[in-house]
Amino acid sequence: MSSVSRRMVLKGAALGALAYTVGGAEVLLSPREAHAQGLPLKVLTADERAALEALGETLLPGAKDAGLAHYVDQQLSVDPSESLLLARALGVMPPYADFYRAGLAGLDQSSRKAHGVKFAELAADKRAEFVEQIRQKVPEGWSGPPSPFFYFVSRGDAVDVYFGTVEGFERLGIPYMPHIIPIKRW
Amino acid sequence: MASAKVDVVIVGGGASGILLAAKLGQAGKKVVILEMGPPLGLDDLVSSQIWSRRLKWGGVPVVSEGKNPVAHNFQSGWGLGGAAMHQFANWPRFHPEDFRVRTQYGRGLDWPISYADLRPYYDRIQKEVGLSGDHVAEVWRPAGDPYPMPPIRWFKQAELLAEGFRKVGMRTAPMPLAINSVSYNGRPACIYDGWCEAGCPTGALVNPQVTYLPIAKKAGVEIRTDAYVTRVLVNAKGDRASGVEYYDKARERREQHADVVVLSAFSASNPRILLNSVNDKHPQGLANSSGLVGHYVAAHITFSAFAMFEENTENHMGTSGAFGMSQDGYVKDSHPGFGSYTWTIGVAMKPNDVLGFANSRPQLFGSALHDFMKRASRGLARIGVQAEELPSAENRVVLSDRKDAYGFPLARVIHSLDENSMQLFNHIRAEGDRIVKATRAKETWTNPSPGLAHFLGGTVMGKSAKDSVADGYGRTHDVGNLFITGGGLFPTIAGVHPTFTLHALTLRTADYMAKNWGAIAV
Repeated sequence: MSSVSRRMVLKGAALGALAYTVGGAEVLLSPREAHAQGLPLKVLTADERAALEALGETLLPGAKDAGLAHYVDQQLSVDPSESLLLARALGVMPPYADFYRAGLAGLDQSSRKAHGVKFAELAADKRAEFVEQIRQKVPEGWSGPPSPFFYFVSRGDAVDVYFGTVEGFERLGIPYMPHIIPIKRW
Repeated sequence: MASAKVDVVIVGGGASGILLAAKLGQAGKKVVILEMGPPLGLDDLVSSQIWSRRLKWGGVPVVSEGKNPVAHNFQSGWGLGGAAMHQFANWPRFHPEDFRVRTQYGRGLDWPISYADLRPYYDRIQKEVGLSGDHVAEVWRPAGDPYPMPPIRWFKQAELLAEGFRKVGMRTAPMPLAINSVSYNGRPACIYDGWCEAGCPTGALVNPQVTYLPIAKKAGVEIRTDAYVTRVLVNAKGDRASGVEYYDKARERREQHADVVVLSAFSASNPRILLNSVNDKHPQGLANSSGLVGHYVAAHITFSAFAMFEENTENHMGTSGAFGMSQDGYVKDSHPGFGSYTWTIGVAMKPNDVLGFANSRPQLFGSALHDFMKRASRGLARIGVQAEELPSAENRVVLSDRKDAYGFPLARVIHSLDENSMQLFNHIRAEGDRIVKATRAKETWTNPSPGLAHFLGGTVMGKSAKDSVADGYGRTHDVGNLFITGGGLFPTIAGVHPTFTLHALTLRTADYMAKNWGAIAV
């Protein structure tokens, strides 16, 4: 194998193709494509999706359209031994859905306690202020994993979908230089 | 259901298990490896930090507790090849004093072997698998054969950081890496794409898939993946291991009988298997007359300091292992906080994942994170440390109240850094701050708290069953045909990365087993 062929970059490849269900059939899409097509989620509820997307967009603007919720949700639907989530590497105890559900519930509960509304209903500047608080210490009304750790994991997910892809590298002007491009379905 | 008896059953298809299997297979032994994870191949090594997580632990959960919990999942591996599939390939040797810390300094533990015992195996391993480095520039290096390859190429980041070391009066040298700087033994040279942590499919980086696995297969070693070992079985008298119990992919209970049993799983898994192998002859677990199975777990104390340069640091180029090193802090009692440490100088970085650009400034989010990522992708540079944690019996693997699908307790790892470790960390942090500030970077910062890398100890070697689980060959004191390999044997962990020493130690065990087979397998 020459270094040129090893460095072949596939334009348009993003996170890699994950399995989504469209019209009863399983298809391979990137999370951005799944988000753009408005596919329903498999694991997270509408409230959980709203909280996750609002959090992701606060942590890294653009993460929502990059398919953050569809990425996390699809990964929550697979066996933990096949998961690509950062939570796996950080030692979160499976099932990982419990971690996300508890963290997102904590986010909404503490937001209600502080501001009277769910996190996704806060104005953008208030969301940023609130995230700065939960990053540093667990706020009143929070339950679930410690809020600084939940911040760290969620921020990592947002960075994954936005920057950890061929598209993301291009945004930063970094050549991706893959040996094996991330389109393979595992 | 029992399979036909073999000479050796090895639990765990990681670096040490595959190396041992290859050597024993070549010696004519019938060997079976039971690997808990899936059958990975080189074409599974997708170039992506996201997809690299498939190489991290995916087995039964490990409960991690304590003031400073070990990063078990990040350090361990999943699938054939184990943790070595995502290793960074920093391969310095331990120093002679690392083997006699108790004798020389009155602290920690001694190894039952010396550097002189292990040196021939370091030399053999580096010749067999290939190491790049500069033995002359590496002034701290103990006696050993020159590296078979020249050092890897340095990119701008390393030069800019090395200038900081020089300005504070510290010496630097190329890091010895288990990565080809030129083609070696039919494997190509590195092309510096920085995907080492995601697994190197080109063969430039030493991982079991390109080193000892092909040899093992050629020697007739049988490898069964998706084989989850739960216990070591013993004979009626309880003084000999007779094989292992495991569950296959279909969740069928099976037994594999063998003349010799070797535990080569990860450092949390070997103690768990021994502690779960209780019977009336071994009420506190197998090979545990010392009561020390699970104890003396240790990890390297890690630290990073960052510099943001106006120059292009070319930080997307290179290897996950470091370009350079400094061991001017290696003398254990020459600074506040006892213990050795090694500086690592510059690594290839990616935007995401645990060690990516974004997590060098974890407090940033929103538009500030976007701005930072743009600057980091051009100008970020990093130095790091691997520092020695002294062994403490309080840091340990015990059985959890939680159980797996078959009713066996999970491993529960309890780990905290003591006051000495924190003193050492604070010294390192201050030194790292001086180094990055001495560079020409306009902006520098340091990690405020220690991290942990590697996961060692838990089945330590020593001279007797009073103070250890196994002898200098990894043979358990209590059960003569039961061996342990891997980092779990390390009584002390030195101030360097462990993988080279793990290989050398395993090769020594392989030699011993082959030469003394009649006495072991009786």
